[in-house]
Amino acid sequence: MTWLDFEGRQVPIRAGDSVASALYRAGVRVFSRSFKYRRPRGLYCLTGDCPNCQLTVNGEPGERACVTPAQQGQRVARPTGWPSPDRDLGSSILWAFKRLMPVGFYYKTLIRPKAIWPIAERVIRKLAGVGDVPMHEPPAARERRNHHPVWCVVGGGVAGLSAALAASDRGESVVLADEGTLGEKLPPGPARERVDGLVAVLRGRSNVTLLERAVAVAVYEGPLVPIAGEDFLHLVHPRKVVVATGAVEGHPVFPGNDIPGLWLGRGAARMAGAHGIAPGKRMVFWGATDESLEHLAVLERAGVSPAAVLVPSALAGRVPAGRPVIADGSVVEARGSGRVSGAVVRSSSGDQTYPCDTIVVSLPLEPRDRLLRQLEATLVVGAGDVVAPGASLDKAAESGRLAITGATIPSAASAPTAPTREGCLCLCEDVFTNDVRDAWAEGFQSTELLKRYTTATMGPCQGAMCHGHLKRFVEAKAGSVPASAPTTARPPVRTIRLEDLAAGARYPLEYRTGLHHRHLAMGATMEWTGVWKRPERYGALLDEYWAVRQRASIMDVGTLGKYRVAGRDAVEFLERLYPCHVANIKPGRSRYALLLNEAGYVFDDGLICSLGPEAYYLTVTSGGADQAEGWFRDWADTWSLDVHVANLTGTLGAINVAGPKARELLASLTRDPVDSAAIPYSGHREITVAGVPCRVLRVGFVGELSFELHYPRLESAALWDALLEAGRRFDLKPHGLEALRLLRLEKGHIIVGQDTDYDSTPAKLGLDWAVKMEKPDFVGKIALERLSRLDRDKELVSITFCGPRAPVDGAQLVRNGDRIGYLTSSRLSPVLGHGIALGWVARSASRLPDTVVAQDSSGRYEGRVTKGPFYDPEGVRLRA
Amino acid sequence: MAIWIACPNCGRRPFTEFWCAGELPEHGPLPAGADPHEADFQRVWFRRNVAGPQRERWFHFAGCRRWLTLTRHTLTNHINDVA
Repeated sequence: MTWLDFEGRQVPIRAGDSVASALYRAGVRVFSRSFKYRRPRGLYCLTGDCPNCQLTVNGEPGERACVTPAQQGQRVARPTGWPSPDRDLGSSILWAFKRLMPVGFYYKTLIRPKAIWPIAERVIRKLAGVGDVPMHEPPAARERRNHHPVWCVVGGGVAGLSAALAASDRGESVVLADEGTLGEKLPPGPARERVDGLVAVLRGRSNVTLLERAVAVAVYEGPLVPIAGEDFLHLVHPRKVVVATGAVEGHPVFPGNDIPGLWLGRGAARMAGAHGIAPGKRMVFWGATDESLEHLAVLERAGVSPAAVLVPSALAGRVPAGRPVIADGSVVEARGSGRVSGAVVRSSSGDQTYPCDTIVVSLPLEPRDRLLRQLEATLVVGAGDVVAPGASLDKAAESGRLAITGATIPSAASAPTAPTREGCLCLCEDVFTNDVRDAWAEGFQSTELLKRYTTATMGPCQGAMCHGHLKRFVEAKAGSVPASAPTTARPPVRTIRLEDLAAGARYPLEYRTGLHHRHLAMGATMEWTGVWKRPERYGALLDEYWAVRQRASIMDVGTLGKYRVAGRDAVEFLERLYPCHVANIKPGRSRYALLLNEAGYVFDDGLICSLGPEAYYLTVTSGGADQAEGWFRDWADTWSLDVHVANLTGTLGAINVAGPKARELLASLTRDPVDSAAIPYSGHREITVAGVPCRVLRVGFVGELSFELHYPRLESAALWDALLEAGRRFDLKPHGLEALRLLRLEKGHIIVGQDTDYDSTPAKLGLDWAVKMEKPDFVGKIALERLSRLDRDKELVSITFCGPRAPVDGAQLVRNGDRIGYLTSSRLSPVLGHGIALGWVARSASRLPDTVVAQDSSGRYEGRVTKGPFYDPEGVRLRA
Repeated sequence: MAIWIACPNCGRRPFTEFWCAGELPEHGPLPAGADPHEADFQRVWFRRNVAGPQRERWFHFAGCRRWLTLTRHTLTNHINDVA
C-alpha cells in the first residue's frame, strides 16, 4: 500500500490520486484557513483556480493540492490554524470582530499611541498569511531550457490540443504546456475520450513537445512564455502564442458561500468521476448550462442524491425525470457552521431551506483570459473556452484549428451570471461584498482603485474567482466603461517560486585578472570593483603604503582599459575625440587625457601613447573599459573615419612597479636601458623584463617613480613571481586598492567616478590645462564654450585638516551652518601626519571659502581649502 | 521581455546582449543661419521621444562589438531595418 504523510498520519493513496483526493477520501474536509478571518475552507474548484487547497507539500508552501499528484511518502500539512486547522480558536473571535477590521484597518486603527503598532504588527503577521517561506536553499539550483518553436500553445484541453495538431500537420513545431497531466481534470466521458485521442496522436509527432505539470506564468514581449516545469524553467520563444487556458465556472457570491461543502460543478464532477469519491450524500444542485447537466449525471452515478435541482426553465425539460427540479431557482444562502448543513433556495414560490451536506454550483463560464490580455493581439490568439465560453467540443476543436490557420475565431459573450449578493467575493484575500461597498463609499470608484485598496483579485488566484464580480459591481455603480475596465493582467498569472525566477542566474559575472590566484595565495582580501574582483589589501595597509613611499612595491593593474587605435585617420580620430592635442605627441611619449561627453562633462581619463605614425596605445580607467570601447567605435562610425579599434583589455596584463627603488628593481630583471634618458617621465618603450616582452609606461598616479608594465596576459604569473623574487632585497610588498587610494589622494589625483560627479567639467575639477580650446573641434567643445559663459557653481578642492585624523568619505562640508559641499575622498596621510581630502565646495560670490568644517558622526573637523597635491607638489619624486 | 534583434553580423540575438544608446542623434550640417550653440544644446539635451517608430543606436557588446542602427517601435518594441 502506498501512502502519504499528512500531519504525521499515514493517508493511503490510489492510482490517479491528487493530494486533494487522497485527503478527501481519508475524511479531511477543512483544507485551509482563510487569509484574514481564518474561516475554514474546503475543496471547491479542483481545477487549480481557487486558493482553498493550498497546502505545504514537502516543505513548499502554497502548493495547490488538487493539481499536485499524490506520491509515496510525500509530507503534506496545512500551514494555518491554531491549535489545528480543523478547530481554530482565532476564527470565531476574528469573525465576531469583523466589523472592527474593515479593509485597510491597519492604516486607520492601531496608529496611536505609537508604541502599539510594532506589537500589533507582530500579532497581525502571525494571524494572517498562508504559510512560511522556506528559508533554506533549494536542494538543486533550477536551470533554464530555451525552446524556439513556431508555436507555443498554453493549455492541454480540446482546443489547445487541436491547435497543436493543426500546427504539427502543417509541419510547424509546437511546444504545448499544461499545468496538470493531460486529461487528468476530466471525468470519464466524451471530453476525456477526445483529449486522450488527441494526446495519443501528438505523442507520436516529432515536431511536438508536450510539457506536463508545467505552468505558463506569463506572456512577455518577444513573445516569451516562461513555463515553470518540474524539471526546468522553460523559456519558450515562439513566433506566435495560442492561449487555450479555458474557463472557470462562475464563483457564486451569497452568504456562506465559502463554507466547506460548497463545490463548483467541475470540481464535484472530477471528485466523483475521475477519483471515484462522492463529494457528499445529499446535494442541492444549481446548474445553468448544458455542461452542468453532465455534472449532475456524474454526481448521481457516484451516489449523491439531489435534494433540489435548480436549473433555468429552458433546461428543466432535459433533467431526467423524477428529480426535484425547481425551475429558475437559485441558492441565496448556504447554512452551516464549518460544514454545509442546508441551502436556502429562492424561486417564484418564495424562499425555502433544503437540508443537505453538499451544494454544487455550475454557473456560466468566465474565461481564464489573463495570459491573453498580456500582449498585443497580433502575437497572441485565444482558442476554445477562453474566447467562446461554453463552446461544444466540436466548436472548441475547430477554434483550435482556426487559431493556427489565422482565421477569425468566433467569440461568444458570456451568458448572464448570478447576481453578486452579500458574501465572500475574493476567497484569496478574504474580501467580502460589504468591504467592496465600503471602499466604494470611501471614494475608490474604479476597478483598479478597488483592487489596490481592498486587494481583491490580488491573491494567488489572481482574480480567477472574483474579477468578474468586481467588474460587474463597478459597472452597476458607475456604468462608465473606463471605471469598470478589466484590471491590468500582469505576470505572473500563477504562483511561481523564487527559485524559478532565479533559474540559470546562480553566478554573478566575475572578471579576474591573470594574477587572481596569486592574490588569493598571498591571502589578499578581494573586493568588487564593477565586474572585476581585485585585491583590496594583502595584510597591514601601512606596510603596503610605506613600501611604495620608501622602497618598492608592485600592483596588479591588469583591469585598466587598454586599446590599440590604428589606421590612416587615427590622428584625426583622436584629435576629434580628446580635448587635448594628439598630433604633437612624439612616438615614445604619452599624455594624460580626459574623455568628455557631448555635454562637456568628464566621464573617463587615461593615457594616450604614440606608437609611431598612424598607431596609438590608449588606456582608460578600469571601470570604463567597456563603455570606452563603445564610445570609440560610435564616433569612428559616426565620422566615417578609417580607424581600427582593438580592445586589448583582456589580452594584456599590467603591473605597476612603484617606489624609489623601482628602477633598480627593474634594472635587475632586464638588459634594456631603464634610465630616465631611455624612459623619461611620461615616456614609454618596449623592453623585456624577466624574459617577458613588455611595454613600459612611466606614470605617476601614486606619486613615486613608477613603471607600468603591459605584457601578454598569459605571462602574468611569471612576471609577478620574478618581480617578487627580485624585490626581496628591497623588502618589496605588493599593494592593493586601499593603499592605492591613499597614495593617489596624497598626490591630489582624482578617480573618475569617485571624485567626479555627473556634471563635472574640466574647469570644476581644476583640469583646464588638459583642455585645449584653441583646437578646431573635439567632442564636448561647443558645450564647454556654452558652459564657460556661466559662473562655476562649485569646484573640486584639496582640503587639509589640522589634526592626525580624517572624516569619512562623503562627510558633509558646512560653513556658518550652511551645507556647502561634501568630501569625495578623505584619509589620514601617514607621511604628512594629518587628514587630507578632496571635496566639492560651492563658490559664493565667485570665490571659494578659505576654511571649511567637515562633519560626520564622529565629530567636526576644521579644514583649510588648498590647491594641488598634498605630497611632493613639484613632482620631483615621480620624475626621478 | 525577450526582444530579438537581427544583428547583421551575429544573427538573431536577444536584446540583453546589446546596450541601447537611445534615439539616433542628428549629426547633419546645420541649417543656414542657425545658432550653433542653440542647435548643439537641443541635440545634446533634448529627445524627440516619439511614440512610434524611432531610429536608434544599439551596441552589440556581447557579440560582434559593433554598433547597429535600427528602427524600434517605442509602443510595441517591434524592431526592423537593422543595419
